[in-house]
Amino acid sequence: MIITMKDTETNEISNKIDELHEQRGEAALGRVLTLIIMTDETHLEDSLALANEASREHPCRVIAIVPSTRKANGEEHSRTYLDAEVRFGADAGAGEVIVLRTRGGLSHHLDTLTIPLLVPDAPIVAWWPTDAPSDPSAHLVGAMANSRITDALRSANPHRTLADLQRNWSPENIDMSWTRLTVWRAMLAALLDQPPHLPITSVKVTGPKGFLPMDLLAQWLRLRLNVPVTIEDEPDATAVTGVYLTRKDGVLSLERRPADQGEATVSVPGQQPQRTPVPTRTMQECLSEELGRLYPDEIYGEVLKALPLDSVK
Amino acid sequence: MGITLEPMTTTTNTADATQNASEPKDTPEREWTNPLRDPRDLRLPRIAGPCSIVIFGVTGDLSRKKLLPAIYDLANRGLLPPSFGLTGFARRDWSEDEFREFVKKNVQEHCRTHFSEDTWTQLAEGIRFVRGTFEDADAFERLSDTVAELDRDRGTRGNHAFYMSVPPRDFPLVAKQLSNCGLAKSDSDAWRRVIIEKPFGHDLESAKRLDTVISEVFDEDSVFRIDHYLGKETVQNLLALRFANTMYEPIWNANYVDHVQITMAEDIGVAGRAGYYDGIGAARDVIQNHLLQLMALTAMEEPLSFKACDLTAEKTKVLSAVKLPKDLGAHTARGQYAAGWQGSHEVVGYLEEQGIDPDSTTETYAAIRLDVDTRRWAGVPFYLRTGKRLGRRVTEIAVVFKRAPHLPFDSTATQELGKNALVIRVQPYEGITLRFGSKVPGGTSMEVRDVSMDFNYGSSFTESSPEAYERLILDVLLGDPPLFPTTREVDLSWKILDPIEEFWSTLGQPEPYRAGTWGPAQAAEMLARDGHRWRKP
Repeated sequence: MIITMKDTETNEISNKIDELHEQRGEAALGRVLTLIIMTDETHLEDSLALANEASREHPCRVIAIVPSTRKANGEEHSRTYLDAEVRFGADAGAGEVIVLRTRGGLSHHLDTLTIPLLVPDAPIVAWWPTDAPSDPSAHLVGAMANSRITDALRSANPHRTLADLQRNWSPENIDMSWTRLTVWRAMLAALLDQPPHLPITSVKVTGPKGFLPMDLLAQWLRLRLNVPVTIEDEPDATAVTGVYLTRKDGVLSLERRPADQGEATVSVPGQQPQRTPVPTRTMQECLSEELGRLYPDEIYGEVLKALPLDSVK
Repeated sequence: MGITLEPMTTTTNTADATQNASEPKDTPEREWTNPLRDPRDLRLPRIAGPCSIVIFGVTGDLSRKKLLPAIYDLANRGLLPPSFGLTGFARRDWSEDEFREFVKKNVQEHCRTHFSEDTWTQLAEGIRFVRGTFEDADAFERLSDTVAELDRDRGTRGNHAFYMSVPPRDFPLVAKQLSNCGLAKSDSDAWRRVIIEKPFGHDLESAKRLDTVISEVFDEDSVFRIDHYLGKETVQNLLALRFANTMYEPIWNANYVDHVQITMAEDIGVAGRAGYYDGIGAARDVIQNHLLQLMALTAMEEPLSFKACDLTAEKTKVLSAVKLPKDLGAHTARGQYAAGWQGSHEVVGYLEEQGIDPDSTTETYAAIRLDVDTRRWAGVPFYLRTGKRLGRRVTEIAVVFKRAPHLPFDSTATQELGKNALVIRVQPYEGITLRFGSKVPGGTSMEVRDVSMDFNYGSSFTESSPEAYERLILDVLLGDPPLFPTTREVDLSWKILDPIEEFWSTLGQPEPYRAGTWGPAQAAEMLARDGHRWRKP
C-alpha cells in the first residue's frame, strides 16, 4: 500500500503512520532502528527494494530522502515544500517506508525534518547507496546517526570517495567495500585455523586494477600477517580472483576465477584442492550485515587508515 | 603491473605465528593464535575446519527432519568447510546415489534457508553411504574405509564426528564397533567426537553404565550430549536477560519471587514413539534433561564467563542444591491421557495407542515441586511440569512475583489483580511477556486488572533465527561445548529424579486426564496445597 501525500507536513505524516498502525493492528514498537537513505529519484526504488529485504531480518522504519523533481510552475519555483509517500505492507518489507521529497530550504534542515519521524530511542543508521558526502559525520543526518554506511564503489569516483572517507574517518563510518570482503576474510581465517600453524612469509592478491575491496583485503592481510603483500592486476577480472599465502610447506590459496562464477577453489599443500560455493555477495547481504552490527568497526578503521590511496590511483 | 605492500617491521612475521614453526612438538598447540582473527573483528563467522559427520540412524525421523536439513542450512550459510563429508550408515539396500536422492528430498522438504542447487551440488560431492547393521563388523570396516577415502579425496583430515541418532540400547554396540575398527581414536592433530541424544540413561545407574561404555571409547571432552532445547536462541536470551540487564537481577531472589513454573506442554500423543516411550514416561523423557536444565539456567548465579566450564560450574551448583519435597505424594503429580478431543480432533487414550501395553502405568503427565537450598532461593518453590496431549504446544519459564506488601487501594479495587509475572517463552513465539496490574480506564471507582507487555524475539530481530540443531551441530564441529550438559549434570539430574520415579513406581495406575486439557486433577491440587495455581499458557 502506497499513500501519496502532496505538499504535506511532518506531523501529518506522523499521524498517518500512527493511524495505519492502529488500523492494521500492528505495534510500531518492534522496530529496532531507523534507516535513513540519502539518495536521488534514479536510485530510490532500487535502494528501497534492498532496504525492504534487509528489514525482514532487522525490522526497521525506512526514511528515504530525495531531492524533489516535481515540476514547479511560476512562483512555486523558489518555494519550499515537502511531498511524501508512506508505504506499508507488501510495499514495505517488515517495517514501514517513508519517502520524503524535499525542495527549497528544507533540504538544509534534514535533521530536524526527520527527527519527528524517527523510531523513538532507537539507533539511527544513515546510508548513502551511491554518492556520499566527503565527510559523512559532518552531514546533518550523518551527525545524528549511530552508523554511517557509504559505498565508494558505487559512487561517481570511487577512489576520491574513499580518499575523502580516509581523511575524514570517524569510528561510526563504514564503507560497503569492506562489507563485501567478509566472506573472503572468514574463509582465509578458517584456512589458517588449520594445522600446521606455520608462519606465512608472503602474500599475493589478484584482481582487477584499482579495485577498492581488493586493496582493502591486501592491506588487511599486510597488517595482520606483517609480511609483504603483492597485488597483481588481472585485466578482465570483475572482483578479487585469488589470495595466495606462501609458507614453508607451500602455497595456500583461495581462488575464484572467473569472479562471478560463484565457485571458489581452496588449495592447501599436500591436500586435494576443494571447491566450494562462494557466490558474489549481494547488496542485500551487505546491507543486512551492516544493520546487524552497529558498533564501530575498529579493524576497518585500521585498514582504511593504512591504505596508500594515492599510490593506488 | 603489480604493487607490493611492504610489511610494518623488518621481522618476517608476528611473534605469535612464528613460535610453533621452529620449535619441536612440546609447545602446546593452544598457544598459537590465528593472526587473521582479532577479538574485535566480530564480523568474521567461525567456519568449521575440514571434517566429516557420520550419522547412525540416518533414515530416522530426527535425521530426516532436523539433522540433514540443519547440515544443508549450515552449508548454505557458508559455515561448513569446503572439505566436508557426510556419511549415512543404515540398513537400507541403497546405492550412494539413492542415498543422495534421499538426503536431497528431505533437505528440500525441511530446510530453513532457500534451496540452492550450487550449495547442494557441492555438499552432495561429499555424501557417502555405508550399508550395514550395528552387529556387522564388516560394515564398520567399510565405514572406516569410507572415512579414510574422505580424508584422502575430500581433505577431511581425520576429523570426524559420529552422530548417534539411534536408541540408547544401541550406543554400547556402536561405540564398541567404532573402537574395534579404530575409528574412535585418532592421532594428535585430528579429532574424533561423538554426539549422543537424550535420553542419557533412564536412571542414575544406567546413566553411569552408559557413560562407562562411552568413556571407554571416547574421551570425556569428545562426548557431546545434545539437548536441542539448549540450542534455542531463547535459552541464550535468558542468559542475556538475566546477566546483561540491571533491572531483573535485584528482584531475582526469594525476597521478590513467589514461585517459578517451568512448563513444557505438547499437544501430540506418543504416536510413532510408542516403543521408546512406554516404560520411560514424561518425567524421564523431559524433566530429567530439558526442564532441569532450564531450571538450572533460571536459578544459577552469575557465571564468571560464558565459557563452557564456567556455565557448567554454576549449573552444577544449582543442581547440587536441589532439595526434594519430604512428602512426595503431596508435591508431585502424575497422569495418563485418556481419550478425548484435542481441539477439534478426536484422539484415543494412551492405553489404546498402538504399541502400548493396555495395562501400562507409564505417566504421560508429570509435575514435581523442587526447592533450591540457597540463600537466593530459600522458600521459593520451582514447579516443573510436562505432558502429552495437553491444551497447547508451549514451553515457557514463568517467574511469578510476590504481591505488593501493601496496596493503597480498597480491596475491591484490586480483586482482579493477580501476581506480577515475567514469562520467558521458549516456544512458540520466542520472547518475553511481563504481566502487571494496570488501571481499568474510565469508571468512577479505581479498578486494577492484569495486563500483558510483550516482547517478541522474532519481530524485533530476525524473522527466522537458526534452528537449534544448526547451532548445536556447528558447535560440535568447532569443538565449542557451552550448551551441552556434562556427565556430572546428567548424574545430578538423575539423582533428583530417581527417588521420585521410585516413589511413583509404588503407586500403580496414573490418574487419567482428558486429552486436550491441562492435566490431571492431582496436579491442580498439588499447587493448591501451596496456595498457587498453574498458569494456563
